[in-house]
Amino acid sequence: MKKRFSVLAVSLLTAAAQLTGCAAGNGTANVPAQDEQQQLEVTIATPQIGEAPKKGNEIEQAIEKYTNTKLNIQWIPAAAFEDKKNIMLASSELPKAFKITWNATTLNAIQSGIFWEIGPLLKDYKNLSALNQLYYDNIKVDGKLYGLPLFRDIGRAGITYRKDWFDALGLKPPVTLDDWYNVLKTIAEKDPDKNGQNDTYGIFLDKSYNDPAASSSFLTRLAVSQGAPNKWGVEDGKLVPEFMTKPYLDSMKLLRRLFQEKLINQDFSVVQLADADNKWNVGKVGIRVNTVASAAATSQENLNKAVPNGVVDIAPYKGPSGNRVPAEPGNNGFFVFPKSSVKTENELKRLLAFFDKLLEPEMSTLLTRGIENKHYTKTSDGKAQFKDLALFNLEVKPYRDSLPSFEVTGTGLPLSMTDLQAKGWKVVADNLPNVVKNPALTLNSGTYSEKGNELDTMIRDAQTKFIMGKIDEAGWQAEVNRWKTAGGDKLIEEYTAEYAKKK
Amino acid sequence: MPTEDKNWSNRLFHTLNYSALLLVSIIMFIPFLYIVSVSFAAPEEVVKGGLLLFPTHFTLGAYKYIFSTDTMVRSILVSIYITVFGTFINLLLTSLTAYPLAKGYLRGRRTFLIMVLITMLFSGGMIPTYFVVKAFGMIDTYWSLMIPGAISAFNLIVLKNFFQQIPDGLEDSAKIDGCHDIGILFRIVIPLSMPAMATFGLFYAVGHWNAFFNAIMYINDSQKFPVQVILRQIIILSQDQIGDTASQQDPTDYLPQTIRMASIVIATIPIALVYPFLQKHFAKGVLLGSVKG
Repeated sequence: MKKRFSVLAVSLLTAAAQLTGCAAGNGTANVPAQDEQQQLEVTIATPQIGEAPKKGNEIEQAIEKYTNTKLNIQWIPAAAFEDKKNIMLASSELPKAFKITWNATTLNAIQSGIFWEIGPLLKDYKNLSALNQLYYDNIKVDGKLYGLPLFRDIGRAGITYRKDWFDALGLKPPVTLDDWYNVLKTIAEKDPDKNGQNDTYGIFLDKSYNDPAASSSFLTRLAVSQGAPNKWGVEDGKLVPEFMTKPYLDSMKLLRRLFQEKLINQDFSVVQLADADNKWNVGKVGIRVNTVASAAATSQENLNKAVPNGVVDIAPYKGPSGNRVPAEPGNNGFFVFPKSSVKTENELKRLLAFFDKLLEPEMSTLLTRGIENKHYTKTSDGKAQFKDLALFNLEVKPYRDSLPSFEVTGTGLPLSMTDLQAKGWKVVADNLPNVVKNPALTLNSGTYSEKGNELDTMIRDAQTKFIMGKIDEAGWQAEVNRWKTAGGDKLIEEYTAEYAKKK
Repeated sequence: MPTEDKNWSNRLFHTLNYSALLLVSIIMFIPFLYIVSVSFAAPEEVVKGGLLLFPTHFTLGAYKYIFSTDTMVRSILVSIYITVFGTFINLLLTSLTAYPLAKGYLRGRRTFLIMVLITMLFSGGMIPTYFVVKAFGMIDTYWSLMIPGAISAFNLIVLKNFFQQIPDGLEDSAKIDGCHDIGILFRIVIPLSMPAMATFGLFYAVGHWNAFFNAIMYINDSQKFPVQVILRQIIILSQDQIGDTASQQDPTDYLPQTIRMASIVIATIPIALVYPFLQKHFAKGVLLGSVKG
């Protein structure tokens, strides 16, 4: 018993010692305004991508050296990023640059004026001001720009399809809705995988096919190619939701017909994304709809694990009026600069200069290709070829995905690509002039903040019911009217007023 | 099946009982088996989809990938530290608080108990709690995962009731032999309360092992994350969503699903191993024969 006592006493003592020892705060020192010669301290908080890199690694050192800064990046696990964000906002423990995504709490924070407005300053930075204005327009709040986007491609839609099947069946990538019907019917019925079973699909839908928030949802992509607006259209100065337009309804009718004839999977309203991917991976699907054009090569690789001789190709979404795709937001979140941590406009300017420098060739190469002879090697024609992708993903990818960079279209060393990769990226580049903007993307509506989810769900369910044949066209119209009376009309009114203000 | 069941109704009852229990255990066991199988299966097999219970191609690829960096190992060590040390703090503080509350002659006992009860019903909320932790200088230290919530009000009350069942006679005789209160608690009451200690120790330990939200809130340094945070990160990353990833052309030499399952296995095994060792303490009858009545 005595012995136990001493053990207890010792452990209590060590506990006390630890308590006192660990109770040091960790406030960051405020750097006073300095001249350009001195190192700028850059603190960044951003969602974690992959494993959190160790502080002071090669990549960080290279960035620090080139930009003359002292970097301190806090990686926040993605799983609870929003909660952490709210805590940081509430306790004003903010970094100098905070990467957040667009949602209601973000909007509130921005509107409360705790972040710097950067719009008027951008013109002084050659790289930031040279970019397509759409990137910035998409994240404006009340017509002002507060954020620096983490750039992503805007026109990402493409038709990723099984070229070997199409060739064998004499098909071409579909253009009109009738083409879509014929192609999907042929693939579903002609047994392209030659296994004697009726188990192939033209497309395999998952439940995000009509996601109301994403311009990347299949139904929107399909409808836009046929002439529908991207989520919201403008008719005579009035905003109209996509599902009240004819091309969109026609696209829905196509799906309804396909469902009736059992040419698409009957369980589409409950299928998870991963299951749809699996169907593609095992070679049961003709057109992969839940992906982006630049990922065609990945689709091919995934397919070849199970179907070694499967051939994948990529084609742009074309409709009766040519190439027409919905504009996606063009960012994966954006950096905001809190006034509580960035004290002066001078400091803000230096921060922006830091981000501007990241788009220069040397930094762009570092962020998107890594370090020469470690992550990539130069080919004879002066392109970069990845040497060790696993290492790249571990050491460089977190920076590439969290700092402004353009993977393929940037100023860095061009990437040596396979034909399919290059073709996919070409589709993305060709899409850009033909994107259809979502006019309501940055509009605020009280009704939507309050009841948006409810309204969206109402329409989503009605669409699914319509496609499954549970309601007819009259029933669909009744559902739309129900949506209108439940708040849809007010939503349209508010958006229209906001839109008119912006003009 | 017990043999003394002579009549058929008893037998029927037992048969039904056992079959129902067997069914329930199978329902609980199969998902786990599936997770283990997928973690060892070759990607080609997993890609085919469906329920995979016995992989034909056995591979350690996913585990190799996870242990290719020290992140997982380090986070497991962090979790072990928090679990062992944190549980010790939990039990110490809970019993130190429960013991006096178990005594009728403590002044203001009711008031104390009501204060404890109030915390069960009302909490300050996430942000005020954060400020409290911050004011104590515990942000970014392991203390933030062990001190807030060191005493669970529910466990405290159950333990108090357990202590109240211990016959007073025991303590009286200890007092006569010259033992003081602290001595009584540590030498007599706690050793007699081993079943309760084991039970609450297990509750607390599982809680610490599963610590996730607090770690996200209070820990900023990614080197200090416990295993659940890392696990959740891996799971999120392996659900690559269209439109979120910068490019989907990062070729992968592994399959996200297998990585996901392997990390679940790795994070679950240590805490699952604790159960067998605590089993013996759950046995009853510790108090038998201690007091001649």
